[in-house]
Amino acid sequence: MRRRAGPGRRRLRSVALPALLLCAAGLGGCGGGQSIVAPRSHQTSLIALLWWWMLGASVVVFAGAVVLLAIAWFRRRTPGLPLFGRREEVAGGMVIGFGIVIPLVVLVALFAASDLYVIRFSEAPAASSTSLTVDVIGHQWWWEVRYPGTEAVTANEVHIPVDTRVNVVATTADVIHSLWVPRLARKIDMIPGRENRILFDTPDAGTYVGQCSEFCGLQHAHMRMTVVAEAPSAFHAWLTNMARPARAPATAEQREGELLFMGRGCAGCHQLRGTEARGKIGPDLTHLATRKTLAALTIPNTPAELSAWIRDPQAIKPGNHMPDLGLSGAEVAKIASFLEALH
Amino acid sequence: MSGALPRGAATGEPPPAAGQGLSLQPPRSALARSGEAAARMAAERKAQPSGIWGMALFLCAETMLFVGVIGSYFYLDFRVKQWPPAGVKLPETLDPSVLTAVLVLTSVPMALAARRARAGRPRATFGLIALAAFVQCGYLAFQLHQFVAEAHTLHPQASAYASAYFTLLGLHHAHVLLGILFDLGLLFWLRTGLSDYRITGVRAVALYWHVINVIAVAVLITEISPSL
Amino acid sequence: MGAALAPPAREQVARLDRVWKERTGLLGWLTTTDHKRIGLMYFFTTLAFFAAGGTEALLMRTQLIGPNQKLLTPEAYDELFTMHGITMIFLVVIPMTTGAFGNYLIPLMIGARDMAFPRMNAVSFWIFLGSGIFLYVALATGQAPNAGWFDYVPLASKQYDPGLNIDFYGYGLIFNGISSTAAAINIVVTIFKLRAPGMSLNRMPLFCFAFLAAAFSLIFALPSLTLACLFLELDRQLGFHFYDVAFGGDPLLWQNLFWIFGHPEVYIIILPAFGIATSIIPTFVHRRMVLFPLVALAELLVAFLGFGVWVHHMFAVGLATEVTIYFAAASMIIVIPSAIQIFSWITTILTGTPEFKTPLLWIIGFIVFFIAGGLSGITLAAIPFDQQVNASYYVVAHFHFVIFGGAVFPILGGMYYWFPKVTGRMYHERVGQLSFWLSFVGTWVTFFPMHIVGIDGMPRRIYTYVASTGWGALNALESIGAYVLAAGLLLVIVNLAVSLFKGERVGADPWEGDTLEWSTSSPPPPYNYAVIPTVTSAYPMWDERDRRRDRARLEGGQGVLARGHETPASTVQDAHLDEVLGMPPYSMWPLVVGLVLFVGFVMLLLAHYLIAAGVGGMLAAALLAWHARQPEQAPLDPAGGSPPALTQEAAP
Repeated sequence: MRRRAGPGRRRLRSVALPALLLCAAGLGGCGGGQSIVAPRSHQTSLIALLWWWMLGASVVVFAGAVVLLAIAWFRRRTPGLPLFGRREEVAGGMVIGFGIVIPLVVLVALFAASDLYVIRFSEAPAASSTSLTVDVIGHQWWWEVRYPGTEAVTANEVHIPVDTRVNVVATTADVIHSLWVPRLARKIDMIPGRENRILFDTPDAGTYVGQCSEFCGLQHAHMRMTVVAEAPSAFHAWLTNMARPARAPATAEQREGELLFMGRGCAGCHQLRGTEARGKIGPDLTHLATRKTLAALTIPNTPAELSAWIRDPQAIKPGNHMPDLGLSGAEVAKIASFLEALH
Repeated sequence: MSGALPRGAATGEPPPAAGQGLSLQPPRSALARSGEAAARMAAERKAQPSGIWGMALFLCAETMLFVGVIGSYFYLDFRVKQWPPAGVKLPETLDPSVLTAVLVLTSVPMALAARRARAGRPRATFGLIALAAFVQCGYLAFQLHQFVAEAHTLHPQASAYASAYFTLLGLHHAHVLLGILFDLGLLFWLRTGLSDYRITGVRAVALYWHVINVIAVAVLITEISPSL
Repeated sequence: MGAALAPPAREQVARLDRVWKERTGLLGWLTTTDHKRIGLMYFFTTLAFFAAGGTEALLMRTQLIGPNQKLLTPEAYDELFTMHGITMIFLVVIPMTTGAFGNYLIPLMIGARDMAFPRMNAVSFWIFLGSGIFLYVALATGQAPNAGWFDYVPLASKQYDPGLNIDFYGYGLIFNGISSTAAAINIVVTIFKLRAPGMSLNRMPLFCFAFLAAAFSLIFALPSLTLACLFLELDRQLGFHFYDVAFGGDPLLWQNLFWIFGHPEVYIIILPAFGIATSIIPTFVHRRMVLFPLVALAELLVAFLGFGVWVHHMFAVGLATEVTIYFAAASMIIVIPSAIQIFSWITTILTGTPEFKTPLLWIIGFIVFFIAGGLSGITLAAIPFDQQVNASYYVVAHFHFVIFGGAVFPILGGMYYWFPKVTGRMYHERVGQLSFWLSFVGTWVTFFPMHIVGIDGMPRRIYTYVASTGWGALNALESIGAYVLAAGLLLVIVNLAVSLFKGERVGADPWEGDTLEWSTSSPPPPYNYAVIPTVTSAYPMWDERDRRRDRARLEGGQGVLARGHETPASTVQDAHLDEVLGMPPYSMWPLVVGLVLFVGFVMLLLAHYLIAAGVGGMLAAALLAWHARQPEQAPLDPAGGSPPALTQEAAP
């Protein structure tokens, strides 16, 4: 006569199987992107390693506890411990051993490894140890990016050279935001009145995604950025271009677009360096065409998407601070073609 | 020896000896309807009455409130370079200190009132509380006048310093007002004599004043700290 | 008490029945001061808020079931996640534990007839109800708080959130805090003073230790929140600058004040759950708790140490490393008292002969979730790791494991365990077990994947996400889990509701429990105990000699205390009988005070300060009237004179 698996075994199964499946699904889908276990810097590699050790230890402890509970179920008709019987001192000893001694040892080790060692790499870098500074200023709901010492200003996209210790200075223009590029660095909050700093330093060229991670209002969900790490020569070329003023429009359509930009209100919020557009409320658009995405990674940067955005920003990112300007389809097309030429 | 004793077995502890536990004659506070009876009742009790415990715990919460506001004051102080901000007059030290001393001294009549109440003397209790309340009202009137006058020159909306300064003082004055209202409540009941319940009330309000007066000193030190 | 009584005893009990007769009808409930009725009112009110908070959760989970869903606008989503947090913490877990379980059970467990301050107990309930209505009026009028349950400034300042939303939050939480503070004071004084003779502190049930620790924490922690909200409203309404950098203020002042409350708050949430677990385990495994005194000490230690760890919510804020390291160390130390309790529970179950009935199943589920949630909490004390996953779904996973699995599971187990005591009927065991398994699986499927998406970079409080993140699959799974969980919870309610009418009738002690409440009838009479129990052990119901002594005294007409609404008070440490207290019967003043306060807070919300001051005057008048009728004026049976001995209660 087969006995049905009792609550203990069923409990084990109900926990173990889904856990395994989820790990497979999750890990399978997560190589890269914004995952903290796909590190691309020394700092994040150490943190990822710390995580795997902590996960391993946690699995051992959790499994141990589940095993004890399973034993309790199997031995439910027999009082006392297996092997030791009804010796109260052993039961008490288990509580002291598992409840005080072992945790103390493990926690001291964890504290030393994480809060005394790894923390040295995740702290703000000593200013003298870095060779480039980038200012990232959080706004509702986009990132302003500046390179002090140059004229370069852009938005939602940070470029850094590989193998360079970059001092990232995180501040905010309005509410609290949090700069988080998981593959490159730990997160840092952007707090009014504070200048917080973290280190970007990666040997691997590539594009890394970041996302605001402190609730900052209606479009917190759509406040993302990319960090592009590239060879120093490519970086310097990019930076030099960023520092230049806006290109003059080449075609007639672009010239009309420029006139509309200045006359229909865009210049009141957006800056095009080298022109009369000096608005400081929205992102700098001087080199808009170099960016891969718009509206802080909400939509790709293509003529169609840009036109849709200009025509009705609230439909795409409801609640953002760009109003509906009441432009006609033709006007939108002209402005878009002007902006798409701003390389 | 197993810890799992069979159900129903006694623990092996001896039953309470005769003369302990329920063979005593516990007092019933409700039957104490005169001053002397109430005083005897209060004296017989071995533990503090519930009302004293309740007031003590309430005072723990209020103390934490002041720990918070004083802590916030100094937190903001240490966060900025200039405190008070430039252009703001440093606080006076003499006047506030004298006023606080006057308030703290009212703990004396309140403590005496509690003792008289325990001795079963309603009229003496009434008089002492009335004296304390009179001085406390005078103190509060003075302080409120100062408060309003200062708010016209140093606006609370001018800086974090001003906000913290006026909130600190405002919270304290609110607690003094509450204490005066307690005093008036007591005076209202004491018109018709003492009872055990009222003795506890007097003692509880005296306790309230003692703690508020200690807090008053802490508030004073905080308030004048830039001038120290 | 069952057995036939001799005439003198019967007369005593008849007098008790007369004196403690409950007022019927709506007026009876509105003016009640009986801890059991108040406990039941808390219970049903918190269940209603639980349904609201759960609906908010289901709406959010439906919105997140796939990328770029359009079920909810960002405004709606922001109000929902904020109200979900506020509801579950302030309107469900705290009132359910301190208000429902605490009120109903503490006097019964300590052998008393009511709480120390019965009218303050009633006003705690009315204020709680008022604060809940206050907050939900906000949601109903589309201006619910919308900056998260911890409401960081400057987002919550007037500049960025100009409407009434945040004012509902600020005033609502101050209002709610009055209820919790009053309830906590009541719990402490009741436990200190009203224990049955002989129930010295070391013989008190672990349930009471846990509630005592939680109550002390509430008293010391709530003022910080009250102050934070006061500063917030002063900034918003009167233009003060506590949090305003431009004028010398600091947004981190809000964070510090909030979390100085917020961290002890989570221990306040979990400690009563520990208390429920330590009540259920000995009963169902038929043995005493291993190392009982150490467990009691651990409960108190958790509450105390909980005040020293709050900065671990702020590790990403940019504080000096030395500061963060101290708080990480403190956060790790607090693991020890929790681990002591966990292993005491496990070894008690292991060395006993457990009967896996529904209440014990919920506690086993609780242990499993609490260990997992505790482990993820330990990982968060590793600062660099926390600096990666802070404000991501990993943290959402952690706190749902410890709050939902850790606090709500014992609450549900406790509902099953004490259902027979409160109603006199037994619930359906099979359906009970099914409700547990559905909820257990649902909780795992909902919250476990959140660890993974958090590691995968998903921040919290986002109303949607783009498909390229790859978070869709796990989010869909979490949403399905939420529906399964909802089904399990619904089944709990259905089981208990149907059993209320159809359940098999039971007597005083269907479980052979160890604590005093199982010695009185199910449901208990209004006066709880016909004779005041005496106690000589920490497991009074397993010590038969006490109960035989109690019965003997009842038959002799001693210790009945039937001259009025009476309960004994004892000394704090050793519980020597000290005096007999007269308890107030019915009173309308708690309801009046609750109403007046509600009106006062509405006036503050609408910035009608003069009217609010006037309402303050009305409050003073109501409180004066409240105290007008004092115990000395309560009617008593015999004429005055010196108090007779407790051993001799002959009729006049």
